[in-house]
Amino acid sequence: MAVSQFKHVKISGISVVVPEKEINIYDEVQYYNNSIKKIDRMRKMVGFWKRRVADDTTTPADLAFNAAQNLIKEMNIDKSTIDALVFVVQQPDVMSPSTAYFLHDKLGFQQSCIATDINQGCAGWVFGLHMVSQMIESGTYKKVLLLNGDTPSVGIDPSNRNEAPIFGDGGCATLVEYSKDKIDSYYNIDTVGSGFEAIISPFSGVRFRLDWTNNDALTTLSKLTKEKITMPTGKVVPLMGGYMDGIAVFDFTINYVPENIKTVLKYAGLTPEDIPVLCLHQANKQIVQSVGEGAGFAKEKVPYTAFENYGNNTMCSIPTTIACLDKGIKKDKLCCCGYGNGLIAASTILNLEDTYISDVNTFVKPDYVKTRDEYIDYWRKKIKGEI
Amino acid sequence: MKKTEFLETLEDILQREEPCNETDILDDYEEWDSLSQMAIMAYYKKNFGISVTLNDLNNLKSVSDLIKLAGDNISD
Repeated sequence: MAVSQFKHVKISGISVVVPEKEINIYDEVQYYNNSIKKIDRMRKMVGFWKRRVADDTTTPADLAFNAAQNLIKEMNIDKSTIDALVFVVQQPDVMSPSTAYFLHDKLGFQQSCIATDINQGCAGWVFGLHMVSQMIESGTYKKVLLLNGDTPSVGIDPSNRNEAPIFGDGGCATLVEYSKDKIDSYYNIDTVGSGFEAIISPFSGVRFRLDWTNNDALTTLSKLTKEKITMPTGKVVPLMGGYMDGIAVFDFTINYVPENIKTVLKYAGLTPEDIPVLCLHQANKQIVQSVGEGAGFAKEKVPYTAFENYGNNTMCSIPTTIACLDKGIKKDKLCCCGYGNGLIAASTILNLEDTYISDVNTFVKPDYVKTRDEYIDYWRKKIKGEI
Repeated sequence: MKKTEFLETLEDILQREEPCNETDILDDYEEWDSLSQMAIMAYYKKNFGISVTLNDLNNLKSVSDLIKLAGDNISD
């Protein structure tokens, strides 16, 4: 069943981090024939402005770790009371085991606290909350730390104007716990598996098998990494990059996502008039406005300031939007919707009236982070038995 | 919606500084890019209840064709 309701799940705290480095599109005028007018047009149409980007030694796990550190400190959380750690990530530190085990160790959680990764993209915050809510409502877990992290900007060539101006990076920690008092939340999750290839990293997993035991991997990679493909639009892109069928995704977003939101509202017996703010995944301003209007919301109820200030930080964009809301806004019926790779549309209505919501914090790199060379050297020594 | 009103709206959707005319060729517009096409798709869906595809838009030649795509929603 796509729709579900939980009655005793409280979101106690949310804390978001973004990297310190900010890129402003007005500083990239060289990519727009030195025309400020062109940038003004992009700013007005799609909201391109500022974005926060991580350096190439920072992983999604590092951002999530720092967000968790902040939340634990700011809320004075007793770590021994956390009985599950769920890390939503699509770029894990390693393919195996779950990066959640690494975070479990670094955060100093107890053995009795379970840990696992969930692979989700832009809908990852809502999807994660949905899974965690079931763990809590079942009575098995009392207090769960949900972590999200993503670094979509890392590795994108700055001259790639299809992607570079869109993405920012971020990490988020959300404390979810059992509440004796009744507190309602509603979810509606739609899965469109036929859209699997609409947003995809086709060469990121074992379907693209490389034999590392001989030179095959090197020969194959050195050939394929140089290969460029001309898209129907005339744009030339590397074969090995990520793929997005932009128009198909846009079509899904404006035609299906508003219906997904309308369904959760109907299920909860609410109308757009009852909802103070609709916090949408910050794909870009144009998409946010189209989805909001399609779902029947007035423009002023659908913010996109998080996109303008931090970029599309995928699964962290809804909590970033929440952190950017005016403190005075009533949050007892907050409607949120994440949508993206899968394809998936995931809507929820949450009561965040008593939730601790931190301001957007600047990422502080954990001291355990290694450069790539240090990482290779670490493993060389480890395998040799020197450490 | 009247044709004149649509032409003004189109100018706004495309973020063009020059006025749009029925006989204009879409490919001649510097602003006729994927951003504008997505904006058109969203506008047609919201205001006319018509789902337009990229294929539909790529097959159009002139502003007049774009108007025809809206059917009875745009009148003289």
